Amino acid sequence: MSLLERLGAGHLDDRTFARLWVDGVEHPHLSSCPACRQRYTAYAEWIDDIGSEGRAHADRMFPPERLAAQQAQIFRRLEALDRPTRVIPFPRASRVVIGHQSPMRRWMVAAAAGLIAGVGLAQVVDHSFFERRESAQLSHFTASEANQRASAIHPVSFKDGDEEFLDATEALGPRVKELRALDEFTPHMRDIDTRK
Amino acid sequence: MSGTSAALAATREADATTASAVKSLQADGRHADARERFAELVARHQRRASRIAYHYVRDAAEADEAVQDAFVKAYSHLATFREELPFDVWFTRILINGCLDRIKARKRRERWQVPMAATGSAGFDGGVERDMTERVPSSGQSPEDALLARERRRQIAEALATLPERQRAVFVLSQVEGCTSREVSALTGLNESTVRVHLFRAIRKLRTLLAPSTLAVARDEKGKRRVTS
Repeated sequence: MSLLERLGAGHLDDRTFARLWVDGVEHPHLSSCPACRQRYTAYAEWIDDIGSEGRAHADRMFPPERLAAQQAQIFRRLEALDRPTRVIPFPRASRVVIGHQSPMRRWMVAAAAGLIAGVGLAQVVDHSFFERRESAQLSHFTASEANQRASAIHPVSFKDGDEEFLDATEALGPRVKELRALDEFTPHMRDIDTRK
Repeated sequence: MSGTSAALAATREADATTASAVKSLQADGRHADARERFAELVARHQRRASRIAYHYVRDAAEADEAVQDAFVKAYSHLATFREELPFDVWFTRILINGCLDRIKARKRRERWQVPMAATGSAGFDGGVERDMTERVPSSGQSPEDALLARERRRQIAEALATLPERQRAVFVLSQVEGCTSREVSALTGLNESTVRVHLFRAIRKLRTLLAPSTLAVARDEKGKRRVTS
């Protein structure tokens, strides 16, 4: 029966068959038309065949041996789940790794702390000492000579400037007690009259 | 109640009993016994799970892994399983989610990979994995019948593979696995009416892809076998 004949006679098409099959309902036409009933039965068989072929195809992909292997693998994984986690040791380091509680570490920390404290203390003590001495000198110079220098301004001479600097340095004298004896043997700039 | 639904009800009852037994064994810390009982569930659902996974991922090795993952996940999360829901529905949902994750991951990988040469990889034929039994000659079939059957399987597998993901999933679950629309809805998380729409579209598409003659050959063969036996 051609499509035109079917349409003319009010027969059902494939689309309607698909709808009927999916919804699982019966069309009134099917009970009155043997041709459509036959076609619908064939249609339903065709769908069932696809299903059974699909099932058979998938089953062939998983033969019993494969399923047995799969099952064994599942149980291996389940056993691994119940076992406590195994910690894989990390490869030994090429350098020495010092633990938190090792005495060597404690010594190293103490040495580092001592070094830092020493450097810091030296900085603070040294600076304060120099600052005190220099401020004393400065106050001495400013008090006695500032007025003279202010009244008589000499032309700038590098030579005079150098000598004054050396005088000032000598006036400070040696800071270290042990060097004072040596200092007394040494001729000073103040003893040499360079202008003569 | 038909024979199939009675069998299904019996299976579900057995599943519920086993699942609650495994749960209580796990709670008592008797893991070896729990695993032993869980083996019953694995044996009951393994084949069906493999079929579903295969139709989803369309690769036997990947389906194998997806099934393993699903059983391991089900075992480790069995405490969250509620007995009022059938175990097979709960488990199949885990399996389908795993398969969908694998499909997503594969798509991401494929985006960065250079496509394979047209010759394809070993074991595949035009995107559809080759049947493992194809190489072994069947004892009851003539070479011609075997060739026709192989060709028919190939055509159906290709047609199913051509379907969009959801249509294929719905068709496989309802037609290959025999689930009702309500069960497919519970398994896929789709609305029941959406399931019917996908099923309708899948059938329409398969009808255009597979000429009815392909399956007529199958019916003729079945008829021939019935006559000879």
